[in-house]
Amino acid sequence: MHHDNGIWVSTEDLNREESFLQSAEKEFSVENIAETDGNWAASRRDFLKLMGFGLGAATLAASCEIPVKKAIPYVTKPDEIVPGVANYFASSFVNGGDYCAILVKTREGRPIKIEGNTGSSVTNGGTSARAQAMVLSLYDTRRIQNAGTIENGEVKKLSWTDLDNKIKGQLQLGGNVRFITNTIISPTAKQALAEFTAAYPNTKVVTYDPVSSAALLAANEQSFGVRGIPNYKFGEADVIVSFGADFLGTWISPLEYAREYAAKRRIKSLKGATMSRHYQVESHMSLTGSNADNRILVKPSEQGAAICALYNEVAALTGGSSIGGPALNDKAKATLKKVAAELTQHRGKSLVVSGSNNVMEQVIVNKINDLLGNINTTVDFSAVNNLRQGNEVEMARLIGEMNAGQVAMAIVWGANPAYELPNAAEFKSAFGKVNTRISFSGNLDETTALCSHAAPAHHPLEAWGDAEPKTGHYSLQQPTIAPLFDTRQAEHSLLEWANSQNLNRQDEQPYYQYLKSHWASDLFAKQNKYATPAAFWDMSLHDGVFEMPPAPRTVSFNAGIALNSGSVNQPGSAEVEISFPETVNIGNGQYAHNPWLQEMPDPVNRTVWGNYLNIPVEWDGINNINGWKDLNDGDNVEVEVKGQKLTCTVVRTFGQMPGTVAIALGGGREIGGCGVGYGLNVNPWLPIQGGLIQYFANEAKVSGKVGEDKNFACVQYHHTMGVKAMGKEEGKVINADEKALGWKGFQGSLTSRSVIFQANLNELPGISETMAEFHEEAQHLNAQTLYPDQTEFYGTGLKWGMYVDLNSCIGCGACQVACVSENNVPVVGKAEVHRHHEMTWLRIDRYFYGDIENPSVVYQPMMCQHCDNAPCENVCPVNATNHSMEGINQMAYNRCIGTRYCANNCPYKVRRFNWLDYTTADTWPGNEERVFWVEGDDKPFYADNLVRMVLNPDVTVRSRGVIEKCSFCVQRIQEGKLTAKRESRAVLDNDIRTACQTACPTGAIVFGNLNNPDSEVNKAREAAGALAYQVLEEVNTRPGVHYSAKIRNANEELS
Amino acid sequence: MLLKRICWVFSIVLLASIVAHAAPTKEAGKELFTANCAACHNKNMKDNLTGPALGGMEERWAAYPRADLYSWIRNSQSLISAGHPRAVELWNQWKPVLMNNFTGLTDEQIESIILHVNDVYTAKPLTPVAGTGDTAGGGKGDNSNMWLFGGLALILALLAFALMRIVDNLGNIARVQAGQEPVRRTLVQILTTKGAVAFLVFALTLIFGYKTVDNATRMGREQNYQPDQPVAFSHKLHAGTQKIDCQYCHDGARRSKQSVIPAANTCMNCHSAVKKGTQSGTAEITKIYASIGFDPITNVYIKDYDNWSDKQIEDLYKKWIGQEYMSANSLTAMNDAGRSVVETQWEGVVKALKDDSNGKIQGPIEWVRVHNLPDHAYFNHAQHVAIGQVACQKCHGPVEQMDIVYQYSTLGMGWCINCHRETEVKFEGNDYYKQYERYHQELKDGKRDKVTVSDIGGLECQKCHY
Repeated sequence: MHHDNGIWVSTEDLNREESFLQSAEKEFSVENIAETDGNWAASRRDFLKLMGFGLGAATLAASCEIPVKKAIPYVTKPDEIVPGVANYFASSFVNGGDYCAILVKTREGRPIKIEGNTGSSVTNGGTSARAQAMVLSLYDTRRIQNAGTIENGEVKKLSWTDLDNKIKGQLQLGGNVRFITNTIISPTAKQALAEFTAAYPNTKVVTYDPVSSAALLAANEQSFGVRGIPNYKFGEADVIVSFGADFLGTWISPLEYAREYAAKRRIKSLKGATMSRHYQVESHMSLTGSNADNRILVKPSEQGAAICALYNEVAALTGGSSIGGPALNDKAKATLKKVAAELTQHRGKSLVVSGSNNVMEQVIVNKINDLLGNINTTVDFSAVNNLRQGNEVEMARLIGEMNAGQVAMAIVWGANPAYELPNAAEFKSAFGKVNTRISFSGNLDETTALCSHAAPAHHPLEAWGDAEPKTGHYSLQQPTIAPLFDTRQAEHSLLEWANSQNLNRQDEQPYYQYLKSHWASDLFAKQNKYATPAAFWDMSLHDGVFEMPPAPRTVSFNAGIALNSGSVNQPGSAEVEISFPETVNIGNGQYAHNPWLQEMPDPVNRTVWGNYLNIPVEWDGINNINGWKDLNDGDNVEVEVKGQKLTCTVVRTFGQMPGTVAIALGGGREIGGCGVGYGLNVNPWLPIQGGLIQYFANEAKVSGKVGEDKNFACVQYHHTMGVKAMGKEEGKVINADEKALGWKGFQGSLTSRSVIFQANLNELPGISETMAEFHEEAQHLNAQTLYPDQTEFYGTGLKWGMYVDLNSCIGCGACQVACVSENNVPVVGKAEVHRHHEMTWLRIDRYFYGDIENPSVVYQPMMCQHCDNAPCENVCPVNATNHSMEGINQMAYNRCIGTRYCANNCPYKVRRFNWLDYTTADTWPGNEERVFWVEGDDKPFYADNLVRMVLNPDVTVRSRGVIEKCSFCVQRIQEGKLTAKRESRAVLDNDIRTACQTACPTGAIVFGNLNNPDSEVNKAREAAGALAYQVLEEVNTRPGVHYSAKIRNANEELS
Repeated sequence: MLLKRICWVFSIVLLASIVAHAAPTKEAGKELFTANCAACHNKNMKDNLTGPALGGMEERWAAYPRADLYSWIRNSQSLISAGHPRAVELWNQWKPVLMNNFTGLTDEQIESIILHVNDVYTAKPLTPVAGTGDTAGGGKGDNSNMWLFGGLALILALLAFALMRIVDNLGNIARVQAGQEPVRRTLVQILTTKGAVAFLVFALTLIFGYKTVDNATRMGREQNYQPDQPVAFSHKLHAGTQKIDCQYCHDGARRSKQSVIPAANTCMNCHSAVKKGTQSGTAEITKIYASIGFDPITNVYIKDYDNWSDKQIEDLYKKWIGQEYMSANSLTAMNDAGRSVVETQWEGVVKALKDDSNGKIQGPIEWVRVHNLPDHAYFNHAQHVAIGQVACQKCHGPVEQMDIVYQYSTLGMGWCINCHRETEVKFEGNDYYKQYERYHQELKDGKRDKVTVSDIGGLECQKCHY
């Protein structure tokens, strides 16, 4: 196997198209601004005007006095705050069914960064992109700032007392009260709800989830008598089969699953390495599917048939009875037969899950697990997962009630049914018939706009709360900043309206006392670790979590249940089917108003700002790969589902099954923030069957090209490296970088470059030998260097390095958002991303390899490699970038004059240029239009002082015209070194962890001192042995970052 | 300049010799008093501060054995609980204020302190010495060398002129000998020769070029910047005369990147007792009270101060200022002069505290920032103070001599770099530096005589710019 390895990033790459050369050449896409944008016609006159202004301004600036700056101390300094030193508070990120145990970093009482809490056994220190981004939503300028009535979509201020009196008055009338919520995992909030219900017995709580798991809950109730989600032990399963469940990205408890999954698949030693085997049955390449060993392609409507087929095969091997089932495509059927055989060989050590929202399908999946002996082993009901509790059937019932005029008051708490429901239109008209409609939402959303009263709740970072993500796993949420606006804890409002005697209104924080006493009265008794309620509370609050070992519970499959293949979804016959997956970044729109998440590329599509129609690519079997219907990325098409037409922008997607298309949920928000105007709301397209929402439709009509998205933003072709194309003149495959460089055969532009190494588990000896040979060859070349030997120089003191285990990386993007948050990386907006101007210091490259029609994926987090022979350093005319003796490639912004030679010369394409003053929102009128601006705001995004509160004060805010890039989180390095110095000891691994490292849920990134043989980074690299490599080692850049080869455990009989 | 330096060195040597001298004398007592007692006991020994005035303590304890006084100083609480009559009397008078324990003081040291207390107590009252010329001189420009250069230039010019004359004369002599007419050039002719004009152009370019670059690099630098502050706080009085340690107030310096401007409650540690300034009376200290909400008449913090109206605040502090004026001038009723003092001082309070943004008097004192680093330069006090053990004065100058603080150093990058080049890293006593094995070896082998900050990367960009 050659190290070329046949990786590709796109159709152009695979087709060796010459157009790709141009694309790859565009390190910085400098389309003529005047050409692309009429507003920006710059002329000679403009130039002269600016020139004149510049001169004048410089003269003025030089003669002006320096402005007087104030230094304002505290009046009474809080004991725990030392200005300039960060405090960390343990808390929880909870948004409906999304949960993460976190630490909140605050500076001078201002939350600026989210870290994972290693004390939690659920998330174990990992974070998700969503959790990382929550800190930005705290400083959202669109937050509702006071209680009030809502008229014409605007909040008219009302004092809390007036609001309380109004609502209590309404409640006295005694009509039916309905709460509309997403999953609530807070035991104390449920207690408050119970008090409310006791006070007003006509109350009912209606819960649904933005993306439903109602069928799973119903099936578990039928199968095991437990309405809950078991603890799926992905870490103990040798064979995993997932029917469309995106358990690494979005399904139930992805952080927990991802960690266990990755741990099981880590190569601990080259000899006798073992991994689990993961089959993903799906039509659209999901994040989980992209990590699978084998993907089995079935149409969305064939999922039921596939589940039946697997059941029948397993039953045949284990002595169960066949249930027949709908027809399935032959290839999948044959494959599933082999999978069944493998599953039965791993009884009790396998796991079958499904993301389906069809009860019978889930029951059959349960039965398969039962036949395989997985119940009570890998499917464990001891600690039931509480993260999904919703049932949209109840929501439908509520709509009926509202329509019948039986509901006097509706209280919307953390849900947005007017957007999230497929029958939102129906909901809206029914909702209008409710007399009093109250929203707890902190932002004006589609539902709140329809409400009569706003009782805005605190942002989670301002509020008290608790959570029980899994039975016995408790987690506390504490405020890390005083409420920015005149908002109020939602639970407080409830208890106030219920006239609760347990809420002491005289307290400064009444709900805090309520929460504390609930913990003392309820949870304290259940544990025996702490002797007093005070100690129990203090320690739990300090740790953020409190966990009780679950009482073992065994369940058995209800023998009386009749499996019926007639109740599963029946395969459709239409030419094109469509599925509606959930993305890791914006969910079903709950996170659409968070710019960090909008600008985080979708892991597989690598598109930003919106949802795009994934269409399959077609291979003519010989040479060419084309988009379906000859469509290109960025083309607009009309799609019709359920008789409703929408114009979608397409993106060609490898691994998308022919005859299917997909478009993610969460686009096209209409109200409430930066997500408005990006993507399409496809919720109305979702069919409802048996009361349950289905995330696919049997038929979609897709037109030909009807137009183009001018600002199509996909980072696929930005900052590429090592990609190839067919040169027209040469008539052979050449390296795009080489072409761009204009040099041929030069050492720095070898056609075959070591970017990714990949192999199957059974080829492990082969790949390690190949890599060792390659390493030797590269080292031989590198030994011919003219550079002086620097071993002694870098061997003194500290030398920083990183190790990225590509085998553990699942591509979830948490590191990328963490980096944005830590390093003040600006959001640039869709139009600027379109122009290749995204500023992310860390990108996650996605490469395909293997079968063109059903390829495998490898993700590669790519950041500055901190090369000891850095090509960027010696081309800088002003020495703005240079090397430190600790091995850091330093970037001095204030010295940079913006020639961009360094970015041009960087083989890894990790340097970013500030084309505009993105973070300080340039006041040059021409630029102001171009920096990121939320639709409807009166100033650019970063010009608002509220938004600027999120900036990390230890990192310079870069100005226009300078290059920036990953600094290895040098501010953390300096801080860690100082701690070590003050404690008079050597630097430990724990002192310094980079933002990407702490964010990673699977521990794929390790950072540390290379000069310390015992450091984690050296240990990890040693353990990987020959599988560890440096990207582009052959060009003698001597990077400080090592990667490991991607190893898959594919069943090669299947492909 | 030189003279000043000598004075400095001399005073330091003198100070050192005093410190080294540890016998039971009043000098040693002074040292011990400053180190242990001065935080709570007034150094004039006559007025109460956080703790009682110490003057006359011998008499007050005369009825008891000397050993009782010692044990009182070492551990007052144990003596109180033992029921010692004098101790109980004191406790009743001063509780709940606790006196710290000084178990480490020897009898001899306590005697020294008593010697010092008596010495100060019986001495004639001193008025604080007004600042003399050499206090704030450090930054006032190094003009001393200018006349030297000027003189030298003048001499050189004269020399050049004389030489030219000589050349001319010699030429004329040669001409005369050759039978030609001698040429007498006027001064104007000489100054307009090609050479002279070329030289002039060259010199001007040089001077203007230098000045341009110099001014450009100095843009934004504010050496000697000495803004007026809302409170006429004197470092000379606090750090100089009272010898309060810098880090008592600037408590961030040892543990944070910022040295931290003290909060008003830090001032109150002393000023809840010291209610009148030696120089300004009630004028300045009242500003602290009005900021934090302390009622100096009843000695309590005002509850709900944040909701007080301006009128309420005005009434309280005017009453306080007036009352103090009357007692200082032994008046029984207010006079016109007093009323005008009250008005002026109150106006000063309002000017210092009134916040433009919310119009409130309550709230923080907004000091004018003297030392401004640009945003792209990262500086960490803890690194320099706690690890590098750099004296505050090294960068901030003789703050203990400044009535109003000014920026002593340029705070320019060259200035930072210079120090990093020269300063030796304190390898001993900090295990962190053990990792620089090569340097340790080289020091041992005698290949290197010291390790400077620059040797461990102190000149690298990303030590300060990130």
